[in-house]
Parts: sequence; structure tokens; C-alpha cells
Amino acid sequence: MLNTLQAPTTTDSVLRVEGLKAYYQMNYFGVRREVRAVDDVSLTINRNEIYGIAGESSSGKSSLIKTIAGAITPPLRVVEGSVKFDFGGRALDVYADPQAMKAARWQNLSYIMQGSMNVLNPVRRVKHAFHDFAFKHMGISQSAFRSRVEQHLHRIGLDPRVLESFPHQLSGGMRQRLTIALATVCEPDFIIADEPTTALDVLVQQDVLALIKDIQQRMGASIIFVTHDMTVHAAIADRIGIVYAGRLVEEGPTLDVFRRPQHPYTAHLISSLPRIGDNKKRSALPGKPPNLADPPSGCRFHPRCPLAVDKCRSENPPLVVRQTGRVACWRAGEVQAA
Amino acid sequence: MFKILRDMLRYNVEFAIGFVLTLSIFLFALAHFWAPLPDTAIYLLPPDMPPSAQYWFGTTSRGQDVLWQMSSAIWNTMLFGLTVTVLSRLLAVAVGMLSGYLGGRWDQALMTLNDTMIALPNIPILLLVYFVMRDSMSWPVLAATAALLGWNYDARLIRSVTLSLRNREFTRHAVFAGMSVPQILVRQHLPYVMPVIFFTAMNNLIWAIGLEVTLSVLGFSDINRPTIGGMIYWANQHQAIIAGIWWWIAFPIIAIVLLFLGLFLLAISVNEYIDPRSRLSRMGA
Repeated sequence: MLNTLQAPTTTDSVLRVEGLKAYYQMNYFGVRREVRAVDDVSLTINRNEIYGIAGESSSGKSSLIKTIAGAITPPLRVVEGSVKFDFGGRALDVYADPQAMKAARWQNLSYIMQGSMNVLNPVRRVKHAFHDFAFKHMGISQSAFRSRVEQHLHRIGLDPRVLESFPHQLSGGMRQRLTIALATVCEPDFIIADEPTTALDVLVQQDVLALIKDIQQRMGASIIFVTHDMTVHAAIADRIGIVYAGRLVEEGPTLDVFRRPQHPYTAHLISSLPRIGDNKKRSALPGKPPNLADPPSGCRFHPRCPLAVDKCRSENPPLVVRQTGRVACWRAGEVQAA
Repeated sequence: MFKILRDMLRYNVEFAIGFVLTLSIFLFALAHFWAPLPDTAIYLLPPDMPPSAQYWFGTTSRGQDVLWQMSSAIWNTMLFGLTVTVLSRLLAVAVGMLSGYLGGRWDQALMTLNDTMIALPNIPILLLVYFVMRDSMSWPVLAATAALLGWNYDARLIRSVTLSLRNREFTRHAVFAGMSVPQILVRQHLPYVMPVIFFTAMNNLIWAIGLEVTLSVLGFSDINRPTIGGMIYWANQHQAIIAGIWWWIAFPIIAIVLLFLGLFLLAISVNEYIDPRSRLSRMGA
């Protein structure tokens, strides 16, 4: 694997993912199937950074983020590569040291899961969720914990009385806020968020995004989040990575990616966004995302790519540094932003 | 606790009726501790007396007061039923939740055992145990045997609920937060399974009481210890219906029907307390 990390010497990185491969390996009735959901992904995330991962449905973005969080269960398995965190000098290798991983959860590393409006147990009061998930990681007394939770809710703009409610008594936005409160109450160094705003309408979404950004700035945490909604990326991400068919195809500072996409897939993704005052018909990309159990040879995007040449069909382009970001495309220089 | 009880009595008619019925039958059964005569003594009173001011529910052909016999009988029958229910609930919950949550080989092993037990016929096994044990057959042994036979269907039911909970977001969250398997099962899943446990407990209690009555009516239990089935057994032995001693059979049956009714109403309304949504909607909150 080529050493394509952006700045290998930086000591300010919190997360380093190297050559990560995670496959769904199934064996039903003697038929082996392997779905390469995360295929050779390398990325680095710096302290205080918000990193967005974008991609269409079934491109493997949730699998990637689950693998980074160490929250995978069979049939999804890590085949190769490593996920390493560095929490202020304390190193953690997610797949080499399960004990350290256990200790770091919630304390250093928290996870806002997909469908996070439902992380609250419907038959228990909200306060129990805080107690179950966060209490033992804080190492403080019951009453100190309670007052800290109340303080935290207050800062987030929630009335501490919600602690006594059941989830069904709260609105979707409140539940989303609570989930975020739950993930941030221990002031973790790193927050992983899987579609944190997907089920919300735009107003609540804006609210929640502002909240995430606010918390991140106050605590100095890094965030990696996944969403298919490009506007969310534009709103909060410092850098974004585009995932296509289990591979990272482009990465760069948000503005640069939006202004000058280098990968044809990214260019299409961005040109599909509606703009105010622009009534042009948006064309859809032909074809469908590839079947990850049997991906196309060479560059996985070639069957749908308008720029594909013979080399794209046979050889997989490596992710290389180009301009301010990284891109995996043989014809990266020829891509035109729409 | 008292506040909950007060709210339930105020807002839930089923609970109020069930509570009053069960409580009065329980108090009636409790009264046997103050019975004027020992409940196993026979021929101390004039036999076959119809209900009167002196003997409210009449006397039996064996010279016992039906009132005090019933008091002891309900107590013993309830004790048997509750013992079976508690023991079998422990088994059903443990097997069902572990099997559903752990899955894989654990699930296969536990469910194979479970399905094997389902295939076994209850009454013949209990009769077999009775004939093997004979004189050393006491009600706790019978209760333990019944409990071993009475948990399987409910374990499957509880397993199915746990299976659906296993992949919910809050479970995945709890796993990520580092909660152990027992913690997840007890703190996250048990509250969810509780209504099922209560409802099956109710069913199981009725089943156990029915089983006890069946075995006792046939005489396959300690016949000297008064139970509802035991009373009917002795009434049949003395041909009470042919002799016109209807009160010997009618009152125990009425008592057991009232007990069933009370317990059933309690069970359905307790579910409402456990499920916060229906409780709050009923209280208009």
C-alpha cells in the first residue's frame, strides 16, 4: 500500500486508520459470500477537526464508521489494517487491545448511532440511560453525577426535568439532543456520529448541527460523522471524505471539495445539489452502486464514469495527494466541476 | 408505592375490581390461621348440615365446616400455584432471555432442551412421579415437578421478545457503552419483558391451580391436606351431588372462579402500570 497519508509527521492526529479492510463474511448452507464494505481505507483525523464522510446508500460509510468505533459484530469482520487513536499521549489500538478499548469507551470515545432517536429505552426514564451509559465511566458520586448531567443538559438547552420523562413524551428534536447530550456528557476527545440528523426536518437539523459544532468547539473534541446529505457536510465539516463502493475516493478541505471536486463521482454528487436561482434539470448518474460482493475490476466507479478509459477498467487507482486533498482517480486532472 | 396503588385504584376500574376480589379472597384464606378446629380433623361436627346461621356454608359428610375447609383449601391451593409460578418464571425468564440474547450455540442448546420439554405430556409425567414417589410425595415435590413442566412455552415467548430487542439501537448503544451481558439483560431488557412475564405468570398460575385441582380431584396428591381439588375429591367420594350436599361442591368452585377472575383482572391492569404509555394515557398526562 502506498504511503498516501496527508502529513505523516504530524503529531496532532487523534485518529489514524491504516489500510483498513472490513468484510461481511457469510457462510450460509455452504455458500461463502464476502461483501467488501470497507476496502483499504486510510485516513487521519486531527485534533479539533470535524471530518465528514459522504457517499450514497450502501456505499459502506456506516460499515466504515462502525469499524472505526470498534462496534462491529459478525458477520462484519476486520480483515486487515488498523485503527489507532491517540488521546493526548495515550495511544489506543482498537483491534489490538480490547481492554484499553473498553476503558476508553464513553470516556474518550463516544458514538452517536444511526437511528439515534431510538437509543433511549422506551420503557425506562431518561435518567436511567445517563446512569447506565455514562455513570461508571465518570468515577464520581451519584449526586455529583446528577448535578453534572443537569448542568450539561442546561448548557445544551434542555430542561433538566426531561430526565424524569419517558422517551415517548419527548419530541424527535429533544430526543436527538438528548442522544447528543448522552454522547458528550463525559466530554470525550473523539465523537463518532452516524447520520446524526437524518430523521430531522431542516430547522431541527440546523439546531442540532449548531449544537454539535458548539460542543465540539467548547470541548476541543474531534468528530467524524457520516451522512449522505451534502448540505450537512457543507455546514459543519472541516474536511470531507467521499466514499464510493467501500473505498475512499476523494478527501479534502470542505470548500475545496465543493469548489473543485477532483473525482468524477464527487463532481456528480456536487452538481446534483440544487442551487437557489438555478432551474437547470439535474441529471442522475446512470447505473447503480456496484454489488460489493462482486465489485467491478479496476476502479470501482468505471462502469458509471463518463471519463473511464481502459486503464480504469483494469487497474485500481491509488489514493494520492493532489492539490489540497487526496484523490483516487487516473484522470483526476481532467475532471470538470459542473 | 402507595401513590401508585392509589392512582391505579382511582383510574383503573379493572384494577379496582381485581384488587378487591383478590384481596378479599386472600383475607378469607388468611383467616384459616384462626380456625376454631384443625383443618385435618374429621367428624367433630354434625355431618351434612345445610348452610345456616351457625354453619354459613354448611358442613361436609365428614363432619367438617365447609367455610373453614375452604379457607385452608384456598390458602394451600394458592400457595401451590404461586410456588409453581415463581419457580417456572425463574426458569422461563432465564432460559428465554439468555437464549434470545446470546443466540448461536447457546440458543440452539437451550431451545433444543425447551422443545424437548414441550413435547413431553404433563399429566402422565406427573402421575408417573406420583406413583414413583408414593408416600414421600409432598406438595413441594409436586410443585417443583409442575414448575419443571410449565416454563417452556413462555421461555419461547420471552426469547422472541429478547430477539427483537437484541438489535435495537439502545442495546447496541449499551454494548458500546460497555455494559455487561447481565446488566443489559436486567437493566435494559427486563423492563421490556416484564409485561410478558406478568401475563404468562397469570396464565401459569391458572394452569398450576388447574393442574393441582385436576390431580387432587383424581386423588393423586396428599388427600389429607385440604385443597380445592381435595375438597371436590372427598365430595365425590361421599357422592355429595347424589346425596344433595351441593354446598360441599358449589362453594369451593365459586371461590376458585372468583380467585381466577380477580387474578386475571389484576394481571391485565398491572400490565398497564408497567407499560408507561398506557398508564400515562389513562391518567390523561
